[in-house]
Amino acid sequence: MKYLFLSLMTLFLSVNLYGKNPVYSPTFDDIIKEIIGDEKYVFDDKYIELSVPNFADNATQVPISVDGKKIKNAKRMILFADLNPIPKIVDMDLNKLLPLISVNIKVAQETPIRALILDEENIWHIASKNIRSFGGGCDVSSQASNSNSDFAKYLGQTKSNLFQKDNVKRLKASIFHPMETGLIFGNNPFYITKILVKNGNEILSEIKTYSAISENPRFIFETKDIAENYTIEFYDNDGNEFVSEAK
Amino acid sequence: MKTLIFLSITFSFLFSSSFDYKLKPIKLSENSYYFYGKKEYFSSSNGGDIANCAFIITPKSVILIDTGSSKLYGEQVKEQIKKITPKPIKYIINTHHHPDHFLGNNAFLDSDIYATQYTKDEIDQHGDLYIVNLVNLIHEPMNGTKVNSPQNILTSKILDFDGYKLKVLYYDGHTGSDVVLYDENSKILYTSDLIFNKRTLATPHANIKKWIKTLEQLRKIDYKILVPGHGEASRTKEPIDENIAYLKFLENTMINSAKEGLDVFEILNKPIPKEFKDFAMFKEEFERSIINLYPSYEKSLSN
Repeated sequence: MKYLFLSLMTLFLSVNLYGKNPVYSPTFDDIIKEIIGDEKYVFDDKYIELSVPNFADNATQVPISVDGKKIKNAKRMILFADLNPIPKIVDMDLNKLLPLISVNIKVAQETPIRALILDEENIWHIASKNIRSFGGGCDVSSQASNSNSDFAKYLGQTKSNLFQKDNVKRLKASIFHPMETGLIFGNNPFYITKILVKNGNEILSEIKTYSAISENPRFIFETKDIAENYTIEFYDNDGNEFVSEAK
Repeated sequence: MKTLIFLSITFSFLFSSSFDYKLKPIKLSENSYYFYGKKEYFSSSNGGDIANCAFIITPKSVILIDTGSSKLYGEQVKEQIKKITPKPIKYIINTHHHPDHFLGNNAFLDSDIYATQYTKDEIDQHGDLYIVNLVNLIHEPMNGTKVNSPQNILTSKILDFDGYKLKVLYYDGHTGSDVVLYDENSKILYTSDLIFNKRTLATPHANIKKWIKTLEQLRKIDYKILVPGHGEASRTKEPIDENIAYLKFLENTMINSAKEGLDVFEILNKPIPKEFKDFAMFKEEFERSIINLYPSYEKSLSN
């Protein structure tokens, strides 16, 4: 009887401890600690709108979008997928960008995804969703570098557009890049590690990117800045630098 | 005790392996029937019975158009046909390379199976992958399903099966090769997946512009009955018009959204237009189509 009571209590406690996490995963606590250490965080699906497909048919191209514009003066935004071998997706020093991103990612299996936004009082807001998929997106080598013999010719080709949305500017940028994870034997990691969004010489935001992002990535960012053209610089781990103009 | 365990295992095995598709052929004319597939996505509860297949009884044999998603489905189709006629199912046509239309092939090892070169190549290349995907979705009813690739390549405009003639029309749009069969004897048009009747169109390998062009051609045919790949058979041209309207809506949505700089989810959150409210699976198929096709529309947007 004593044991039964004890085990029931343990069960109860553990359920309550995780009860706050809307999408439980065994790796969440470790990853969050690694990324933000002991900083304060709250689960917040109210102020952050995180969108994922109902079902991700194609695990190499899963669209996700985050809109955290309700959090005023957000400072930093990080995305990660709990069960991916490379959990981190992006880490944005927001500066003059709004806490909004749209990007395609790869998933190795069904996994929770988190959007972390740091507010002006240094509290992290975390939105969670589950991505349903049969997976397999991380151990497929890049289609681009495999099948396209003109790969070298297209590498780093960029395309950017600028849109006026209500009172903000929306930047859409895409680049031809294999975003190779290096997880497959014989393939070296080859991916974009940094993006700079600039207005002239002023850096609006510095964004760290990881190989969990799909090949030939596409990004949407928004800014309150009101210039008529922006420069987006892409840097990869092989020392290449690609520049794109959005007007 | 040992015998009890043995018996219970044997019984559970016996029962688990006998999924019943509850197939009932629907009569279209004196010699023509079709099996109606549910307007759903692959699941273990429907066993993959989501597409139509049809058969024609000729003086000497039976012609079967498409074979469903699994060997078991194919076998149960065979049983149902046997109840109507003792004639052998000698000829099979695979209209295109999607798994819900050809994976029943290996229930018919004695039949001559026909498909275009493109369809055969796709089946040979991706057949096994399709099976893996469907096993994930359907489970047990997929047991025993293997790729049985068509041995005969379709090229002629008319198929002559022991004196019974069928017109073969070669189109594309839904996939890279979509075969339509027209039976002039009964005036029945078998369009397969070029037409979805009151079920949202699936576009994983579609070329929207080509598909619309094909539908405009099909509209000119003076048929009595149209048998679509999904949804009920129809005696009107309405399904063709509705499909053209949907494809145009899909394309315009993507062109306009790309111009406005929208994101995938901003498109998906828009309300469903009234005219498509009675389409089954609108939300699921529309999402798949946008995720698949929208990037190419974003790319083609000029600066």
